[in-house]
Order: sequence, then C-alpha cells, then structure tokens
Amino acid sequence: MNTDVLQDERHHRFILNMGPQHPSTHGVLRVLLEMEGEYVTELEPVLGYGHRCHEKIAEYKPAKSFMPNTARMDYLGALIYNHGYAQLLERAAGIEVPRRAEFIRVIVSELNRVQSHLLWLGAYLLDLGAFTPIMYSFDDREQILDILEDITGSRLTYCYMRVGGVCKDIDDKFVSRTRAFIDRLRSRYPIYEELVNGNIILQKRLKEVGDYTPELCARYGVTGPLLRGTGVAYDLRRAEPYSIYPEFDFEIPTETRGDSWASYNVRYREIEQSLRIIEQALDKLPEGEFLAAKVPKKLKLPAGDYNSSVEAPRGELSYYLVSDGSDVPYRLKVRTPSYSNLSVVPEMCQGMLIADVVTSMGALDLVIPEIDR
Amino acid sequence: MDSKQIQQKWQALGATVEPVDYAVSGYDFSVGLTGENLRAFAELMLREGFYLVDLMAVHVKPAVEVVYQFAHTGGQRCRVLARAFVAADGTLPTICDIFHGANWHERETRDFHGVVFSGHPNLQPLILPEEDVDLKPLLKDEKILKDVAAIRRQPPEAPAAAPKAAEPEAAN
Repeated sequence: MNTDVLQDERHHRFILNMGPQHPSTHGVLRVLLEMEGEYVTELEPVLGYGHRCHEKIAEYKPAKSFMPNTARMDYLGALIYNHGYAQLLERAAGIEVPRRAEFIRVIVSELNRVQSHLLWLGAYLLDLGAFTPIMYSFDDREQILDILEDITGSRLTYCYMRVGGVCKDIDDKFVSRTRAFIDRLRSRYPIYEELVNGNIILQKRLKEVGDYTPELCARYGVTGPLLRGTGVAYDLRRAEPYSIYPEFDFEIPTETRGDSWASYNVRYREIEQSLRIIEQALDKLPEGEFLAAKVPKKLKLPAGDYNSSVEAPRGELSYYLVSDGSDVPYRLKVRTPSYSNLSVVPEMCQGMLIADVVTSMGALDLVIPEIDR
Repeated sequence: MDSKQIQQKWQALGATVEPVDYAVSGYDFSVGLTGENLRAFAELMLREGFYLVDLMAVHVKPAVEVVYQFAHTGGQRCRVLARAFVAADGTLPTICDIFHGANWHERETRDFHGVVFSGHPNLQPLILPEEDVDLKPLLKDEKILKDVAAIRRQPPEAPAAAPKAAEPEAAN
C-alpha cells in the first residue's frame, strides 16, 4: 500500500457528485459535495437537468390550456397545482365557482396531499435503509390512486380541474369508497406507529440531524411542513384562507425542534388532518352544479397582475400572472415550494456526515420537476 | 404587525405604496421601488418578519421590471408585491445577502431576462446550461413587447378620489 497518498494533505479533500442519477435525489438533481473524509465541508445543488420551459410555454397559448402543464411540475401534488391555477384564472376573470365544485376540489386536493405524504413516507424510509415501510405506504397510496383514477381518468398527472369547477362530477361510489379508505387508513396507524415511528434506530437517525431555525426559514423562504417543524403554525389554508377551507375544523400540526424528526412528525400528523377535512367535506357535500355555466370559451383576462397562493404538500405554491388584456398570459411565474426549500441545503448540511445529508435532504420531501420547471 | 405602521415605514424609505384589493388581485400591497431604496426596503422587510416568496422579472417597455413578492408568517395576512425597474445598464443591487433565498432567484432571473444583480457572489447560470448564458429566453421580441401601462390594472369605472395624497405627512 502506498502510504504517501495518505500522507499527502492534498488528497484529504475531494469532490463527490451525488446525482444527477442518484436514488436518494428522487429525480434528476445533482449535488456537488466537497468532502473531507466522510464529512461534507461544502455542497452545492446543481439544477436545471429537467427544465421544460413551462413559463415560456405559458406565454404562447391561451391561459386556460396551461392546466395540464401544472400537473407536470409537482407530479405528487398535481390536483393542488390544478387548484391553484384554476383559482388564479377565476380571480383574474371574476368567475364564481359553484359550491359543490369547491367541495369536490377540496376533497380531491386533500386526497392528493395524503397520497403525496404516503409516498414520501415510504420513499424516505427506503432512503434511510428501511425497506419494509414502503410496502405498507404504497399499499395505502394505491387505494387513493384507484379512487382518483375513477373520476379523473389518470393516476398521477391529473388535469381534473377547469376554470369554474371540475370536469366531472363525483358520484355515490366515490363517496363510499373514500369513506372506506379513511377508515382503512386510520386502522393502519398502529402499524406505522409500531413499525416505524417508535423505532429507536429511526429516531436516532433523525433527531438533531438537519437542524434549522425559523430565522433560517425566513431568510430562505422555506415553507410547508419544514417551517411548521420549527413551531411556526403557518399554513396558507389558514393564513390566507382560500376556497372553502375556513369552513372546516382541522389543526395545523407543529413541532418545535426544527430537525428531520420534527418535519417527519409534522408530515405524518398532517395525514390525519387531511382525512378530517375530507370527512367533513363529504358530510357537508351540497347538491348542485360542478362547473360554472358561464365560462367564455375565449377567456380574456383584464389587464393587470394576479397572484394565487395555495398550500401544496411541500409548502407555498404561488402563481403570478401578468395580463395585457388578451387570453394569453403576458408572463406567468410559478413559485414552487421545493425550490426555496432546497436552497437552504448548502447552509443546513455544512459539516455533516454524508449519511446525514441523505437524511436531511430526504426530510425536505423534494420533487425535482417542480424545482426545474 | 400593524398595516398602517408598515405602510408609513415603506413611505419613509421613499417607496410608493398602493393598497390593492385582495379579492381581485390575490395580494394586499403594491410597492414601487428604485435601485436606491431596494436594499433598505429588503432589510426592513426582514426585520418586520416577512419572508421572500418569490423574485421574478417581467419584460416591458421601457425596461425590465423585477418583482419581489413578500408574505408574513405572523398570522395576519399581508402579501406585498414590490417592483423596481432595472437601471439603464441592466442592473439592480442584489438582496441575496439579506434574504439568502434570493440567491437562486436572482441567478434564475439572470438566466431568463439577463438582469445583472450587482454584488451577487455567484451569478452563474442556474436553470439554463452554461452555454446558454446569453439566451435570455423570456425577453420579448420588439413586436410583442408591451408598454408598462398596458399591463397595469385599469382603475374601476367610478374612480375613487385618491385618498393617498394626505398620507406622506403622517409619516413624519
């Protein structure tokens, strides 16, 4: 063995590329790490591998026909992205949404959120080396996909919402299946709690790893479960009430520590809150139209700028549209939560063990296509 | 956070403040900035507990306009859109040492609109590949470029008498 190599200080630091094809980045993300042994001295995410010019595309076709694109940014929160965009155009054009349509939107959006959290739960634990939990969480998630497939026609990249409502009404079968799903998922909590949450190895790997503070969140624009993991009860469904969320009784789960374990728990507890919203919405579901009657085919948006912010599974999603009075947006900007959440990583992960980088980045629940857009 | 007080603080920096109807526009205040008071405004927003939601640019005549969006986590809704035109040489001062999250947003805006944020530590391409550094894909062709007046919200039919004129005095 050549011991000179070990003696030479130049070899103590080296560059490591995590990605663009790495299982724990869940998409085409590259992270450039400067390492000293097993410790990370510096790291920098490299973005743009999956850039699909959504904002440019938006400037070249009628605003209404951008709806399918929204689903392809955050493929796990597609219905919530639909919801935010529909709300943006309704706000701009001054269109009233029928009450039943708003209920349907909330029900499917919350199902979508549960589905996103379940996927994250399984995939995150898989990143950490626990293989079994994904079997359970995907089993549960599959039930949601089946329910949503029945009414929307797709399983992942939904284009279900329209300006003024949704494209298809829900029926009794949907209601009964959703109720059955809620009961089923609740009966599974003990499995998750005994198999995963109470596991001492998991707790040791997550607690006090990936520390962040509310101040850091404010400086980087971090929102969603991460921010709530520091004790800030900021959820746009409450802070800037939209749709019919004010009518429902639900809590905003928070933790105080601001580490991977905190955001893990926030997300896990949010599943139950989403189920509560769905349950109440099903109970109160009114009869009536599911799509506004008077939506013009060519939807002209009055000149001016419009913003629509909703709570996506990963944090704040904002659409900002500038209109010159025509039916084609002059400029559309999508503010996606993962973009700001990931930007905190260089500061958060400095000096960490590389295994903990996987833990803390997994706790961000990244969806790369929404970062690259 | 008191919305009257914060408006006065903005005006004290020399910014123009216009309250906006949230139901129509989805935000509460429109603030007009310049390259000179932009950084002081950002520092004030950080002190007041706002976070930077987004930073983006719109290409209009006479110059590219950069839009900063802020929101408040403190319970009461306050969503602010601040705008500043880039200077004649295409630059604006960076705010990424105040709001660290602006770092990537400014790099992205450099990619898409070619806005140069002076003082930025690493204004390298972020979303676009390095060979496309001069592509500036979201700049408009001269043919479709609109005047800034064309994208501003038209006042409602019955123009309400401007109540804003009296307020700068209250700031003193």
